[in-house]
Amino acid sequence: MAKSKPAESAVIVSAESEATPAYVAVDIQDALIEARDLSIWYSKKQAIHKVNLKIPRHQVTAIIGPSGCGKSTVLRSINRMNDLIPYCRTQGQMIVDGEDAYGPNVDPVLLRRKIGLIFQKPNPFPKNVYENIAFGVKLHYQATKEEIDGVVTSALQQANLWDEVSGRMDESALSLSGGQQQRLCIARALAVEPDILLMDEPCSALDPVATAKIEDLIFELKKDMTIVIVTHNMQQAARVADYTAFMYLGRLVEFDRTRDLFERPHEELTENYITGRFG
Amino acid sequence: MTTKTDQRKALAKGLAKLNENMLTLAELSELAIRKAVDCFIRLDDQGAREIFTLDQEIYALQLEIERSCVDLIALHAPVARDLRGITTSLKITTDLDRIGRYAKDLGEITLQFRGRNVAPASEIVKIREMANRTIDMVDKAIDAFVKRDAESVRQIAEDDDVVDRLHDEVFAEIVRLMSNRTMEIETGARYILVNRYLERIADHAVNVGMRVVYMVTGDWLPRVRAADRAKHYPKDPENP
Repeated sequence: MAKSKPAESAVIVSAESEATPAYVAVDIQDALIEARDLSIWYSKKQAIHKVNLKIPRHQVTAIIGPSGCGKSTVLRSINRMNDLIPYCRTQGQMIVDGEDAYGPNVDPVLLRRKIGLIFQKPNPFPKNVYENIAFGVKLHYQATKEEIDGVVTSALQQANLWDEVSGRMDESALSLSGGQQQRLCIARALAVEPDILLMDEPCSALDPVATAKIEDLIFELKKDMTIVIVTHNMQQAARVADYTAFMYLGRLVEFDRTRDLFERPHEELTENYITGRFG
Repeated sequence: MTTKTDQRKALAKGLAKLNENMLTLAELSELAIRKAVDCFIRLDDQGAREIFTLDQEIYALQLEIERSCVDLIALHAPVARDLRGITTSLKITTDLDRIGRYAKDLGEITLQFRGRNVAPASEIVKIREMANRTIDMVDKAIDAFVKRDAESVRQIAEDDDVVDRLHDEVFAEIVRLMSNRTMEIETGARYILVNRYLERIADHAVNVGMRVVYMVTGDWLPRVRAADRAKHYPKDPENP
């Protein structure tokens, strides 16, 4: 399966038992997130098979793969959003900042404060623009009105939305355009100062202009946080991500610097997927 | 609305057409240089004129290939082996076109020699050897492209060192012949040009070879300066 490519820099990571070895071209030294032998079942169906994946700090990592390959499942396991799905069972470890997210003393609510999640479709609360941002702040912190005002302004500025909504704070968030709603959701996540931002196909419902704004935002945000993005759009992964993981049938197939993965993938399966030969 | 499969089919079709054009271009360039050397050695003016037509065909095809590469990149945003195939084609069309251009230049000198009754090139023995080695290199590089064979051209830069040394030797021989008045200055000057053309063609063959390695494997071969490689060869005691 593997083609000729110098393998000096490559580390073949394989689980002790039956998991298929993934081709991991770079060993991430400063990993903020690390899946260790992560397996996930929906009822009796195993969706994720012993995935070992290190996600570098303050970088953008894309997870790509055909529909149903498990990329969203892996993403959602990082902040334990899968807990909310009945019959979903997780095995292995998801180390976030040195601690297992599935450890006994972990409060998922606090975990999710550190890890924001942006969904495919913008999902603002049916409240006004201001309240959308203020909600999470009030939930997690005891803050004065002035402090909350400051956080709302700074989150909207950080999400490059302030100039467009500063005069519309009392309007319903649902009156904003799709692209603005998505940036509002990003601002809402940023307001509680997360370390990690997970994005599950954040642009699939947006037009190219709104998509470009989100992509620009990703570039700015990665200075301060670690971003993991699941995308169906290969060009988007190539544009925004520093590292890319390719998954297939619940397994990690290849992990590499984005540039290398798209220029000279190691695995035939990766090559065939990214060149559109299947999927 | 076009589906992903439709897009893929369009890309596959475009890539197949590109490959077909590249094979034709490669064949034409190799034919041009073979014919040019043959005509030069035999002072065949009729054959030399045919090279001019070949050169025009090569140039026209090069333009067509360039356009199709730009279209494929713009329309399909190719990646991996598809992208490497396209960028390699874009780069080596220039090399193949330059080979065709040097063949034409060689044809022009053939016509000038023919008009002035200059003795055939066999006088300078090593220029034939140089021509043969250069053609071999072009053949090797093109064959590697056609067969997508990276291994056969990994060492092609070393073949070029032999041609470079021959270039120096031929140059010295021409200068010697001109100095002792065995050869007219104008004839010698044109031989020096021929010598230079052949040496440049070999350089283009190296470029093609290195690009083929990248296209097939994704590896960029390190570019070692000829001067650095030359250090491995003993210097000519008569011409230090």
